[in-house]
Amino acid sequence: MTDLQRQTLQAALDCVIPPDDFPGAWEAGVGNYLARQFESDLASRRTFYLAGLDGIEAEAIARFGKHFSKLEPENQSSILQNIESGAVATSWAISPEIFFKLMVETAAEGYYSNPEQGGNLGAISWTMTGFSKYGPV
Amino acid sequence: MTEFDAIIVGSGAGGGIVACVLAEAGKRVLLLERGQPLSFAEVGRDHLRNQRLAIYGHNAGPDLEGNPRVFIDPLGTKHIVKPHELDYHNNAACLGGGTRVYGAQAWRFSPDDFRMATKYGAPAGSSLADWPIGYEDLEPCYERVEWELGVAGDGAALETQIPRKRNYPLPPVLPGPQTAALRKGAHDLGWVVSPVPLLINTAPYNNRAACIGCKYCVGFACPTDAKTGTQNTVIPRALLSGNCELVVDAIAEKIETDSRGKVVGVRYLRHSSTAPESIEARSKVVIVSAGAIESARILLNSNSTHHPSGLGNEHDQVGRNLQGHLYPRAYGIVANPIFNGVGPGVSIATTQFNHDNDGIIGGGMLADDFIKPPIDFWYDSLPPDLPRWGLRNKQFMRENYTRVLHVRGPVQDIPSPEGRVTVDQSVTDRWGIPVAKLSGTTHEETITTADFMRERAVEWLRASGCETVWSTRPELMLSGRQHQAGTCRMGHDPDSSVTDQWGRVHNHDNLFVVDGSLHVTNGGFNPVLTIMALAYRSAEHIAKHIN
Repeated sequence: MTDLQRQTLQAALDCVIPPDDFPGAWEAGVGNYLARQFESDLASRRTFYLAGLDGIEAEAIARFGKHFSKLEPENQSSILQNIESGAVATSWAISPEIFFKLMVETAAEGYYSNPEQGGNLGAISWTMTGFSKYGPV
Repeated sequence: MTEFDAIIVGSGAGGGIVACVLAEAGKRVLLLERGQPLSFAEVGRDHLRNQRLAIYGHNAGPDLEGNPRVFIDPLGTKHIVKPHELDYHNNAACLGGGTRVYGAQAWRFSPDDFRMATKYGAPAGSSLADWPIGYEDLEPCYERVEWELGVAGDGAALETQIPRKRNYPLPPVLPGPQTAALRKGAHDLGWVVSPVPLLINTAPYNNRAACIGCKYCVGFACPTDAKTGTQNTVIPRALLSGNCELVVDAIAEKIETDSRGKVVGVRYLRHSSTAPESIEARSKVVIVSAGAIESARILLNSNSTHHPSGLGNEHDQVGRNLQGHLYPRAYGIVANPIFNGVGPGVSIATTQFNHDNDGIIGGGMLADDFIKPPIDFWYDSLPPDLPRWGLRNKQFMRENYTRVLHVRGPVQDIPSPEGRVTVDQSVTDRWGIPVAKLSGTTHEETITTADFMRERAVEWLRASGCETVWSTRPELMLSGRQHQAGTCRMGHDPDSSVTDQWGRVHNHDNLFVVDGSLHVTNGGFNPVLTIMALAYRSAEHIAKHIN
């Protein structure tokens, strides 16, 4: 993954699960979760996923003339909404909708599943939802 | 070659009980299990790889590689599917079978579940039929399962719907805040409710500890072994008798017959060895208890000169009528948190709508749900109009994970002969054995019933204080999965059934099927208690037969 792709990934994941008074996707370790998955279960989707990140960046340059990671949050969200619905401004080598669904679902998996899998550091989402707050461990 | 009285293929709900009854009756039993015994640690608590949510794998077998099935979708397209994929219709492959990782709801079927065709008439194109036995035939066996294995529940609360002679041996699970909300809603609607009966020790029983209320019942193993399966009850008893030899990692290739077509034993492979060796074991009786899909596969793969289309398949009935349960479901938000984090989570049910619904065939039970891990909730339970990402999604998870009431339940499938298991000679598993091919759907009338039950779920939630309620219409599909049933149905007529009322395959005197395959219809309830009760009934018959 290039530095640019990593910056795009971080910014995009934080749009998918943004920080508020609980951490966003990146701070919660979703990047670690994905890195592990692209070495194992999702190895066959790695190239596809990176092409999607390139697509996000290309949309940012085409529509706003800036790197995706440098855009205002509302412009980032606008780009992602268009990718979600397939209404992209540039030519994509892969399906933007399928990429977007993969990005959102894997972000949720990293954020809400076991901390041992790389994301959900400190089981923060289990505290946030109340899953681990109540009842026996 | 060692000769056994009985060889049993599969150690799940059916096979485990048959092994115990026969071994304790002094019969020499060989119990074959394709999986392995799995410890609590081996089953683990992976939220993404378990028997309930299996995105990247699962935790109770079979292995993802080397065990394909073929799935024919409604458009006729052929797919090769892996064990953790939905269209595989997996049930766990390990010692105890599905009972190792199930949720353990322990429902009796209701009396009308055994006479569906008489009560409602069979819709055109369906294979709806009566059972060859009635509730009263099975009632003593239900009671035996409840007391020998240990079911927790409140028999009096269910009495008007499902008569019984004796209460459950264990008290029901404790109610939680969600129970109170749903109880009040049902009361206002005038609906009958009861605690959900469970094969879970709510107090110490059978020398095993009580439930500690952890959050991991369905899809996982129990940390205190309070959840009851065949692996921690009847199978240890069978082994203790000294009459049962258990072989795990054993893949049944075929049932062997002699030159006259009579069943003489089972050929199997030990798959853990580097060069699997084919072993033939001989017995007086063979009992197939591999689950509705694999039992049909074994019979169909056991073809010979005398039985060119497989065993018991002279009338093209083996593998037909595959059914499970569609699960209508609804969700709603209550004002104050109703999540106390104490498992199992499923606590209250209504059996108000299992039968006698105007213009509807059958019905089903509705209950709240087992505690869902957050990622399971995210995939399964969010409102369809909620954005799948962004701050609103995250804040919904934060605010409402503890406020969502869940209601769902199994509806009585209306079986179709076209929902079926065959074998695909062109696709084999890693041992070269042709795999199961699944095709068709349940009968379309099932959707009418499922949608009626979905509306009842919505009604219950609204009456229980939910202002916002969401639910999607169920779709017609093949159902099977953990509740798979029906593929070797019992009956009096060999033209339209595979076995007699004891599970004995027609035209054979020593070949039996004992698992969900026998179910003519699958009730509007989780099927395990019925599988177990039938297993006791068949096993006592088989024990006498061997004499």
